[in-house]
Amino acid sequence: MNDRLSALLASRPLRRLLIAVGALALLGALFSLLYPLVFETYVGKVNAPLTFSSSQTLNDDEFEALAAELSWSARHAAAAAIVGGDPESFERQVKIEMLMQTPSRMREHEPSHIKYFRDAGIRRYEGPKTCLECHATMRVRDQEGRAQVVDTLDDLVNSVHFKFQSDAGGGFSTFGYDGRRVNAPGTRPIPIGKINRACGIPGSFSWTGWAALIAARPEAAQGAIEMRSEGCGQCHIGGNYQPATEKMMPIGDVPEVAKEGIDCLICHAAEYDMNQRYVIEDSAGLRWNQDRSLRAALTVGQATTRNCLLCHQHNMGGDAYAHNEAAQALGEHNPRLLHKGAKRGNPFSPESDVHAAAGLLCTDCHVPQGHKIPRGLMGVDLVANDLPEVEVSCVKCHSEAPHNRSQHKALLNGHLDRLACTTCHVRSLEENNVVLRDWVHPTWDPEEGIFKATDIYRSGAVGQGFTFLWFNGNGTFLANALGNHPDGSSTYDPLMQQLARIEDPEVIAAVRARATELKETYPHIDIDDYVRAATDPLSQLTPEQLEQRRALLERNLRVHMDEGQSKLYPFKLFNAMMYEDLGNQGPFGAMILPFDYATYHETGDSQAAMIQAIRDPIVRRMYETPFKLYMMDEFMAYFGVAEGWRTQYPLASGELRDVEPRWMRQMGSLKISHGIQPVGRDCIECHSPNGILDYQGLGYSPERAAELQHLDIVENLRPAG
Amino acid sequence: MNAPSGHPRSPLDHVRAPRRVEWRALTNRAPPLALLAILLCLCAIPLPASVAASIASEGADTAHSPAAAERQACLRCHAMPTLAYREPTTGDIVSLHIDPHALADSVHGQLACLDCHRRSYRRYPHPERAAPREFDCIGCHRDDDADLGRQWLGIDAEFQRSVHAVSTSPRAANFDCHTCHDPHRFRPAAVGEPLTEIVARHNAVCLSCHRRLLEPQRRSHAWLPNRDAHWQAVRCIDCHTPPAREANHEVLAAEQTERNCVGCHSSDPRLLAGLYRFRSEEEIARRGLLAQALFNEAYVIGMSRSPLLDRLSLIILGLLILALAAHGIGRYLVHRAGRDSRGRA
Amino acid sequence: MTTLYLYPLWVRVWHWLNAILFLVLIASGVSLHYAGTTWLMPFATARILHNVAGILLTLGWIGFVIANARTANGRHYRIRPRTLIGDLIAQTRYYLHGIFRGEPHPFHVEPERKFNALQQLSYLGVMYGLMPLLILSGWGFLFAVYLPPTLFGLGSVWVVALTHVAVSYLLVLFLVTHLYIITTGETVFANLRAMLTGWHRADSSSTSRSESS
Repeated sequence: MNDRLSALLASRPLRRLLIAVGALALLGALFSLLYPLVFETYVGKVNAPLTFSSSQTLNDDEFEALAAELSWSARHAAAAAIVGGDPESFERQVKIEMLMQTPSRMREHEPSHIKYFRDAGIRRYEGPKTCLECHATMRVRDQEGRAQVVDTLDDLVNSVHFKFQSDAGGGFSTFGYDGRRVNAPGTRPIPIGKINRACGIPGSFSWTGWAALIAARPEAAQGAIEMRSEGCGQCHIGGNYQPATEKMMPIGDVPEVAKEGIDCLICHAAEYDMNQRYVIEDSAGLRWNQDRSLRAALTVGQATTRNCLLCHQHNMGGDAYAHNEAAQALGEHNPRLLHKGAKRGNPFSPESDVHAAAGLLCTDCHVPQGHKIPRGLMGVDLVANDLPEVEVSCVKCHSEAPHNRSQHKALLNGHLDRLACTTCHVRSLEENNVVLRDWVHPTWDPEEGIFKATDIYRSGAVGQGFTFLWFNGNGTFLANALGNHPDGSSTYDPLMQQLARIEDPEVIAAVRARATELKETYPHIDIDDYVRAATDPLSQLTPEQLEQRRALLERNLRVHMDEGQSKLYPFKLFNAMMYEDLGNQGPFGAMILPFDYATYHETGDSQAAMIQAIRDPIVRRMYETPFKLYMMDEFMAYFGVAEGWRTQYPLASGELRDVEPRWMRQMGSLKISHGIQPVGRDCIECHSPNGILDYQGLGYSPERAAELQHLDIVENLRPAG
Repeated sequence: MNAPSGHPRSPLDHVRAPRRVEWRALTNRAPPLALLAILLCLCAIPLPASVAASIASEGADTAHSPAAAERQACLRCHAMPTLAYREPTTGDIVSLHIDPHALADSVHGQLACLDCHRRSYRRYPHPERAAPREFDCIGCHRDDDADLGRQWLGIDAEFQRSVHAVSTSPRAANFDCHTCHDPHRFRPAAVGEPLTEIVARHNAVCLSCHRRLLEPQRRSHAWLPNRDAHWQAVRCIDCHTPPAREANHEVLAAEQTERNCVGCHSSDPRLLAGLYRFRSEEEIARRGLLAQALFNEAYVIGMSRSPLLDRLSLIILGLLILALAAHGIGRYLVHRAGRDSRGRA
Repeated sequence: MTTLYLYPLWVRVWHWLNAILFLVLIASGVSLHYAGTTWLMPFATARILHNVAGILLTLGWIGFVIANARTANGRHYRIRPRTLIGDLIAQTRYYLHGIFRGEPHPFHVEPERKFNALQQLSYLGVMYGLMPLLILSGWGFLFAVYLPPTLFGLGSVWVVALTHVAVSYLLVLFLVTHLYIITTGETVFANLRAMLTGWHRADSSSTSRSESS
């Protein structure tokens, strides 16, 4: 053996090869050991082993008691759904008891994992580790029904729910203001998603706003401090000290300790306790707690609508929505802050949506493929998309002729060529739907005992909280719906009109009233200027910038507006005033700067909160050359700034440079797809002189607009049946 | 018919007139081409005077003629591509869409909608009883121009013999002209229209009912070599009508249809008499024989050959053989002469 | 008398296979072309026969080209430009005139050169000109579905068809001529025998004949 080895080593080329292989292996080992450390140091984010207090070991007796309780309540609920009669009567209770003891009910309604855990001796839920003992791999079926076995953890870690970004290399229906499709073949792909996008609704980045503990002084507590939880991590499933920043890089992966933080149960447990969702602090920093009780684990199954809504009702109905279950359980410690202004204001619940009322599951339309969940082909906002090729649409179930009840069904169906179903079947949004949010001038909320961003204008009314735009599935880099009148129009120009201007006198009056109120706290506010900037954000541009904006729109976006078949869709409108880095400004906006939640909500000093946030190491890195070359130059190109990213850090020795508060230069448009009403709009709502559709603004000729406003058919029909 | 008469002739009439003359001449010249005549007469037939007048008025002043205004009123809704409902008994989507461009191009494009449909359809909502008066082609066209009127009855007779009329299948119940021919888009093949488009348009009519033929697992027509190529190049009716006589509307049952390659792949093919004959006659008239030979857009194996070229090539072959034979005889004579002289020497 | 081994076995096998395929192709091709004529073979049979024979012919041709490139046989197809014109004139003159006068062959078969200039040119044209065209157009038929709709502004199937018919017609002319020309050897059947046995016999009769005249 030794002889053979020495013989091998005697051959010089072979010796060299062995040395090379050894060196490579050494390098690889060093890399996998060192890279995570280097990366963490570079971006200033940490990963550490995680513990959760709810993860407790039960003895066998405790286990059986819990199992009996869960089984009883599940079977009882199933039986009670069937047995009729007076709900309080003894007769009914006896019938329910009998029914729930039948073997078939035992078999079908007892949570399946009671048996599995009992047999496997699992008496403690330890996070993904426990799930993966059995579910290390899973079978995933694609749209065509082809099955594939994948690594479960891998599938999840690479899903949008974990990493909030899409795989570089396409799938976006988003176009930069430079006319290029984001990450299309031929471009240099950059990571895109909520991970790296500052947004005016939450007012921060996922990096800077992940988890915060806020010392609140509620009126009711008479000056005593109560800690409150806030941050993006309250919904996102990673239970770590930071979002999955590692996934932004072309190399490296999220470390194993971070993967151990994934909260499987929030999506899969029927009995997940949202009171366990609050911010905790340990030696490594702040992070979000989660429910890892055996109780929750024993009730796992396919994700149900309830599971999805634990997080998603927050951005659909909103935290203040009466039927938001999660908002009733804000945390047993450090309760979560309620966001009273709704992001979309279109709830999904039996009370507000016909599909929820029909018992449809979210996954009936958003049919998952493993842990990848489709959001459809029509995405206007630049957020990540797991399955960009998978359609989610009304006609998949409803056919091209969905109306069957009305006498005028054929005429109603006739509208499908021009109108999205939601245009008629979403009648209004929640009243607290926020349209204009001023982050720069916070308002004291005595009830909660914190400063909050001032919602200058909220409305769920048509024409005020949301409007109708032509949409062909394309969107801009700042979430503006693209489309055009199907017969072609050169006058329809949403980025100069519908999305850049508020003309409704009611809205303007409301904004003025709020500005007048604000002036009491912020005397320097000039009310006229304030109202103008908020309702006519283009007034903040110089004439040159305006000219450049028009030119870019015509040259780069017009062609993508004319693509495909546009229909009218409803879009929620939103604008925010934030601090902006005017060193990185283009005709469509500037880089907005995030806020540090604790500073912001505690002190109400928005500037100090902003300065605190941009001191975050990763924001500093953003203003350095590697980040510029890797990501930001391309980012700015899509932003309509051909000169690239300027690395001048806005904070020089404590002084701000080129930072000003601004309203974004146009409103974002968020597509409204839930809150579907069974009865749609009446004809007269659109086909009348003061209807909800501004035909001329939408590119109809004056003659055609007049014709559509005065339809004899509609007049003959009133009131429509 | 309520269109006013006596309008001046329109530019449109000039376009139509030469075609009409040409086709009528053609049908006179070739009486057996009944099928062709049927196709053509749909366009060439002199329309009733009032219709002709409405054509004239259309051409003169489209926007303001009453017929046009009425069409416009109907099309306000019926031009919606998705105007449709689901038939409660079957669940099928029934489209009420009228393609305005197809209608304008169709033979009925200048009629007012109420010329055919009930007057009560003038208003919306329309009456519940949807069925207008019984109208098939014969209802309007029977009394037309005497010598062509016979053709309409001929078509009807053909149809009455066809599988569509005699079948007892419930799917064939209530089969009438409009089951295949949408009167809102019906038009004869136009000069210069590519054959493949004519074929596709024709076959789409058949396939709109016989769509299961297109299912991948169907073995129907499997015997036909290059099935898909045939389906792109030949109309269904080119095979599915009686070979002996030309009766386009006498569609045969599948089992009665001959599987006869040579019917088309020969110098005297049925296709030449039907689909392609129409083309070649058309184009010969337009471009002359040589251009037709050179620029024939469709090729049928065994059929492309021009008799002239075939004859020419056979003559050349014959001449060559003659020349070689003469050469051989010459050689033989020389050889014999040489042998004789050597023998004598 | 000298004997030359002119035709190696593979050339002879290929030649006779080719001959059979030619006959089959002509018979089936004519049946397709003149389909419906009573004394020809049925269309369906002809179609299959023609396709199979055509594919075999293609294989044979490819084999021939490869073999010619890799064996010594290829040298017979190399044109000698310097003497070409003179040789052509002499050969043509011989066929049109000299042969009737009993003049000697202007060309003598040598191991290095088995074709006369006229033969060489026509074989070159047939094997490297017409055959590829024939094969390409034949395969064009087989895969007509994948052809672009037009070629050179004409319907592509039509171009293919016309090429195929024209080339096959020229090849028929070639075949007829070929059948006749082989009788112009030393004796009527000398060349035929050579192609069967491989041995070319240049017996002294030609020399003696030329001496005698």
